Amino acid sequence: MKKLSKKTLNKSYLSWFYGNLTCFSQEHMQTFGYLCAMLPVVEELYDKKEDQKKALQTYTAFFNTEPQIGSLVVGMTAGMEEAKANGQPIDGDAINGIRAGLMGPLAGIGDSLIVGTLIPILLGIGLGLSADGSPLGAIFYIVVWNLLMWFGMRFAFDKGYSLGGKAVEILVGEQAQAVRDSILMVGTVVIGAVAASWINITTALPLPGGGMLQATLDGIFPKMLSAATVFFCWWLMTKKNISPTAVMGLLVIIAFAGVLIGFFDPGLSY
Amino acid sequence: MEISLFQAILLGLCACLSSMPGLGGTTFGNYTLGRPLVAGLVVGLILGDIRSGIIIGAAIQVIYIALVTPGGTVSADVRAVSYIGIPLAICAVQSLGLDPSTSQAQSMAAALGAAVGTLGTVLFYGTATMNLIWQHIGWKAVEAGEFKKLYLVDMGLPWISHLICSFIPTVLITMAGADMVDLMKAYMPMDGIAMKTLFTVGSLLPAVGVAILLKQVVKKALDFLTFLFGFTLAACLGLNLIAAAIVGSFFAVINYKVMMSLNRKPAAGAASADDDDEEDI
Repeated sequence: MKKLSKKTLNKSYLSWFYGNLTCFSQEHMQTFGYLCAMLPVVEELYDKKEDQKKALQTYTAFFNTEPQIGSLVVGMTAGMEEAKANGQPIDGDAINGIRAGLMGPLAGIGDSLIVGTLIPILLGIGLGLSADGSPLGAIFYIVVWNLLMWFGMRFAFDKGYSLGGKAVEILVGEQAQAVRDSILMVGTVVIGAVAASWINITTALPLPGGGMLQATLDGIFPKMLSAATVFFCWWLMTKKNISPTAVMGLLVIIAFAGVLIGFFDPGLSY
Repeated sequence: MEISLFQAILLGLCACLSSMPGLGGTTFGNYTLGRPLVAGLVVGLILGDIRSGIIIGAAIQVIYIALVTPGGTVSADVRAVSYIGIPLAICAVQSLGLDPSTSQAQSMAAALGAAVGTLGTVLFYGTATMNLIWQHIGWKAVEAGEFKKLYLVDMGLPWISHLICSFIPTVLITMAGADMVDLMKAYMPMDGIAMKTLFTVGSLLPAVGVAILLKQVVKKALDFLTFLFGFTLAACLGLNLIAAAIVGSFFAVINYKVMMSLNRKPAAGAASADDDDEEDI
């Protein structure tokens, strides 16, 4: 009965934690990071060079997912490889089937939950702490984010290794859905607060009867122009399928036209 | 303000570490050093002006608050945004005599950072393309059974890609930056249309960053209410971000409980064994 040693699992995890994207190309995105993570596992489980090569061949298939949540898959395949070396009816194709089946859904979860929610919440809090130029916010982000990921990825890796296929149930299923939905909710509220605190779009247009348009708008809803601009950009990207870069280009035109008619005026001189 | 060769070399090293696909690794490289808020601190330390670095980094961070790279496509390159854009913005703000904490300085920084970041995507494709060479070496190593070479391929050889696509461009551009800012100052008066447009664009750009993020989480118009709730907390009630996060968490807990009780209803009608299974998960 072969069993992966703690040392090998550590080495595999470290290789993935550091090297998942270091040798990225458009053709084989995380494949080499994956190969490096599986190498210690394969070397410990198989004695003969030929067997090692055959096992490693499995992981030469294309792999790409959100790499942080993806440590779950690496852990799972380490467990499956161990079972395979012990003569259980698992072959390379089965392992690759699971890898291929998981990378899409996990990328979706990781991109929306980690990159799209957790990072903006942490950065949002960091921005608040650093608003006056204090390094505190940046330090807060560095410490909290790295601790969360170091232990979180290790947790996912270990869960994947010990639970195998059952680990997937942690991420799908009704409870997971409810947790995800609620986390997204916090994220959206914080992003709303970030938008209100950090976007500052104002107009310099005077009203015909005296007074300023900006004062009137503030009376209706403070920072209305900022909220409206966000909505406009979202609408262009989501409903009209315009790329972010093109939206930025459009804003340059709007800014230019706005300056010409006097709607925008930053009011600066040397 | 001048950037010395030594400072430029440090900035170049940070660019190698922080990009996607960077040599600091995903978590510590791209998602820590590459974030403009963190880069603001790092650049501030290198250039000896932490306060300007942080304030400018924070202003640029808002645009890139949700830089998701689905399937390895990038709309902006963080190494360029953070380690070319922020140093140039600090130079520009200082030579124009602006206080970094003013909204004008932040608009200027945002516009510069976004322009550099968009151009910087060339660096991303350059790095990824060069890595193909190392991967080719890797395939041969697997064929020949020289497995240890895989570490060299994955973590060693990409340094060459970064030397060419991250280090050299960063050093050259940041060193030339001070002169470019002087040129800008000479040819583009602050009250002219060009500069006014630049500053206005800078103030509009953070809206794009927030909208990119919303695109991920807001699927239907009703979800916008959650966003506006957070917006109102800050804009009308004056809550800071930590306070808004706490209020948001409170509603998220309620949301979780509602969803779980909705989930449980059909199970209650079924056999009680189902309930036990749920406990296990």
